[in-house]
Amino acid sequence: MSKSQKWIAGGMTVFMGIVLYAFFALKYPYHLHFQEQYQLFESTWSYFAKVAWLPGGLSDWMGRLVTQFFYYAPLGAFLVPVLLLGIQLLTFAIGPEKNLFSYAVSFVPSFLLAAFFCDENALVGGAVALLLALAGVALSQFVRRNGPRHILEAVLVPLLYWACGGIAVVFILVTAIREGKRPGAKAVPVLTAMVVLAVLCPLAARHIYPYPLERLAFGIHYFRYHNLVPALLWLSALSVVLAAALSSFRLFRKNWLPGLGAWVLALAFGILLVLRTADFSKEEWMRYDFMVRMEMWNRIMMSADRHNPDSPKTVSCLNLALAMTGRMPDSQFSYFQNGPEGLLPSFVGDYTNPVSTGEIYWHLGMVNTAQRYAFEAQEAIPDFQKSARCYKRLAETNIVNGDWPIARKYLRALQHARFYKKWAGETLALLDSGDIFERRPELGKARDFRLTEHDFMFSETEMDSMLGLLHVEHPSNSIALDYLMAWTLLRKDLDRFVEFISLVNAPVMPKAYQEALLLRWVHTHEDFNGLPPYLSPVFAQRITRFIADYQARKPEAQMRKEYGDTYWFYYYYRYRS
Amino acid sequence: MKRTPLLLALLLAACSPKVHDAASSEALPAIYPDYVGVTIPASIAPLDFQLEGADALDVRITAPDGTQLRSYGNAYTCFPEKKWARLLEKSVGDSLQVSVSGLQGDKWTTYRSFGIFVSPDAIDYGLTYRLLEPGYEIYSHMGIYERELSSFRQRALLENTQFDGCVNCHASMRGKPEDFSLHIRGAHGATLLSLDGELNAYETRTDSTLGFCVYPYWHPSGRYIAYSTNNTRQGFHVQPDKIIEVFDLASDLQIYDVQKNQLISAPQVKQEGLWETFPVFSADGKTLYFTRAAQISIPSELPLSHYNLMKVSFDPETGTIGEDVETVIDAHAMGKSITFPRPSYDGKYLMYTLCDYGTFSIWHHESDLWLLDLETGQTRSIQEVNSADTDSYHNWSTNSRWFVFSSRRDTGSYTRLYIAHFGEDGQAGKPFMLPQRNPAAYYEDLFYSYNVPDFVTGPVPLDRIRAQKAVNASERVPFGFRRSR
Repeated sequence: MSKSQKWIAGGMTVFMGIVLYAFFALKYPYHLHFQEQYQLFESTWSYFAKVAWLPGGLSDWMGRLVTQFFYYAPLGAFLVPVLLLGIQLLTFAIGPEKNLFSYAVSFVPSFLLAAFFCDENALVGGAVALLLALAGVALSQFVRRNGPRHILEAVLVPLLYWACGGIAVVFILVTAIREGKRPGAKAVPVLTAMVVLAVLCPLAARHIYPYPLERLAFGIHYFRYHNLVPALLWLSALSVVLAAALSSFRLFRKNWLPGLGAWVLALAFGILLVLRTADFSKEEWMRYDFMVRMEMWNRIMMSADRHNPDSPKTVSCLNLALAMTGRMPDSQFSYFQNGPEGLLPSFVGDYTNPVSTGEIYWHLGMVNTAQRYAFEAQEAIPDFQKSARCYKRLAETNIVNGDWPIARKYLRALQHARFYKKWAGETLALLDSGDIFERRPELGKARDFRLTEHDFMFSETEMDSMLGLLHVEHPSNSIALDYLMAWTLLRKDLDRFVEFISLVNAPVMPKAYQEALLLRWVHTHEDFNGLPPYLSPVFAQRITRFIADYQARKPEAQMRKEYGDTYWFYYYYRYRS
Repeated sequence: MKRTPLLLALLLAACSPKVHDAASSEALPAIYPDYVGVTIPASIAPLDFQLEGADALDVRITAPDGTQLRSYGNAYTCFPEKKWARLLEKSVGDSLQVSVSGLQGDKWTTYRSFGIFVSPDAIDYGLTYRLLEPGYEIYSHMGIYERELSSFRQRALLENTQFDGCVNCHASMRGKPEDFSLHIRGAHGATLLSLDGELNAYETRTDSTLGFCVYPYWHPSGRYIAYSTNNTRQGFHVQPDKIIEVFDLASDLQIYDVQKNQLISAPQVKQEGLWETFPVFSADGKTLYFTRAAQISIPSELPLSHYNLMKVSFDPETGTIGEDVETVIDAHAMGKSITFPRPSYDGKYLMYTLCDYGTFSIWHHESDLWLLDLETGQTRSIQEVNSADTDSYHNWSTNSRWFVFSSRRDTGSYTRLYIAHFGEDGQAGKPFMLPQRNPAAYYEDLFYSYNVPDFVTGPVPLDRIRAQKAVNASERVPFGFRRSR
């Protein structure tokens, strides 16, 4: 390439880096946090040996090494473009022709990978595997003499299979194209040997590793769900081969305009693909989950004020924030509510839902349930990894339950994880000194809120009984009371609500409770004579208007505009059990 | 060239701390695992240990003929396997004397020496067991493993990385490695049966039975396998001391005739209003022991669920289950519950677990091992081996001179394996933890529990790839059914 073309090419790469960074740092950062929390990268030799011994294990280990930095999303957003642009530069470097057109084409694999990373189950190890395979091609290119190069290529096939897994096939295909084009080179025997080796690798691995052949061939740790082959990753791998093949044609060798055109096309394709594969509703839920994890209660409510959450997962996060800040009895129905599922979501045996639902039980003082949810979520991680977030919670629940030897086990493992070792070390020291509950008041609070007088089996159908007992055993557990009242309100069970109202000991009856009591009053009385003094006449007038408008069959949109912040609107227009 | 190893050895010796000015202590050393005064077989792997709080150790083990084996320098012992084996060979029927000096801070202490008795009773080749995280409903990585007892070698027989599913109950035919039953749950659910090394995947549900075959036990002839079939559920305590309960909503017994590929059932072992489970054959194969409880309302009445030990005759010639079911131990009257009955292969004893209620003794802290003398009918708690925490799942060695069991005494949550000698006089020796190289670190890093341990007389000839194909295939050999005459 000419000097000016090199400048343009450099500009393309820098521009792409900025775009990718901006996307992952500003539009998609919680996917990075999400990735980080479902692994526990331990800086130990035994961890390396355990991960790296599998085919593709080295790239998996390197991917996990990178993923641990996603703990800080801006750092993760920096590392992802570095990885993707590394692949782009290597794709260009291994191509036989160096022109602006081939440079533009070299972006395609990285765009596909950027789209791949929009999936929360995409593992970084897959991209690292591709990077290593390309590095293998680049390495063999350095050797000019046929004999040594062929030996190196033959050695690299099993070596790359071990390091990258099935994606090592990229090395074989690109090398095949290159060797086939070499004038006078005896390509056929070399290629035959490489293909034989490539086929033998997974077949031989089958006798060493306890995995089915298809997983040994298509990768063990490219994607969290092992029984799915990640199409975008493999398309990216194939596009590297195509890019190498395309750049072999001596098109547009000097002229830079077609190269720029190809780059614009590639860029448009990449942006469209990323926008199409990105799931911003998941990103929104991950954002709420992250804020719950970090206990950013006010930030959750500020987010909800800007945009009302509407999925059960996000609403449950909002409700927890309302309870944690004491605003639930007054403000719960100022926000969208989608029934009891938005308060205490049902148990789902996957690796995501129990994590955030477990946070609710933790703050309620249902420590055993929080422990179970953290444990189950971790067990459900499809690729059998451990979760740093779950380990941390399990350490906490075991401390609170007095199972300190088990807590120490989790803490010692966390001591090997870069971003958790400080907390783990301090916690271990507090356990040793015996003043853990004084120095970690959140643990002391959880210990105090536990049920100790009543033992029963957790039951989602008897949630009101469990919440009631939590409050009865520990009257200072106001969150349990808020949840109990909210549970009956969201289920529209006004009889149970009235049964429990005597537990409420507030100077002024909270707004949602007044609305519910007035609604029941209206259901059971003909007028407001004898209305208890803790029910405001202002609310009584408002419910009168509401009933009149409701009976006049005003459109729902208008009712929402006028009464959307009331329990009455929820009662008549939301949630059908 | 020959000087290099010598130089290295000298250098290492120079770096190793030496015992000097050691204080004498009359106390026994607080070693982990606790091997003080245990009885071991001659073919056991080195009993490596560490001393609590010590940065370095100097341990000398002396055989009755004066031969010594020494381990020094590290914070844990590291006895060479071959030398250890030779030392044990020389000590059969007698005791090894173990002298421990430990460096704590900058001071050496030499503790009172203790003995380890090397029993003349042989132990089987190895153990099989399941390793899994002690959890609730969902499972992650797990597998069935084989451990050679004379070394530290552990080998995976089958892991759930090979298919989607949970690797469940595994039982060999009186330690015979070629014959075993292994149940897989989940998407590729099946019961793998290996008979003389031939492996097949079976569908064990029939129209006439409750469900899958669950807890297996082989008949001594190898022709029959007794199974329970259980409709199992789980519940989760909200109180801190308890975690999980597993209970049956229904359960029956059935016997699989290997030759005829038929399940045999009889009304007396699948009674309405009664739950039967954990079937086992007596050593002569003419009696079927099992546990039975009256049906109750679950989960509210779970603490009232008390399983008795029962027996019924069995005719191996015709595969006929006897008519009269007898109560052997009335645990209900004691306010207790019996699980996992295991007759010794010499026909003299039956070991079982006793807990407060239910069938899931492995999560009950109060669970202890008990012994029934089948000749006298006397039963007692095996105090020699029981601990303050869960002592549960157990199996006998093929000569009935050893037994293996799982216990939570170590951390309270993770079950570890212990092996105890069982004398002709019916007394058990002090149990020893399954040896590991650097055991403190090994067990500290191990987030798995040992589950369903059993002895095997040789390496299990399981072709992993074949087993994987059989499980992943959609075809299953269906079990037939017949009623007991």
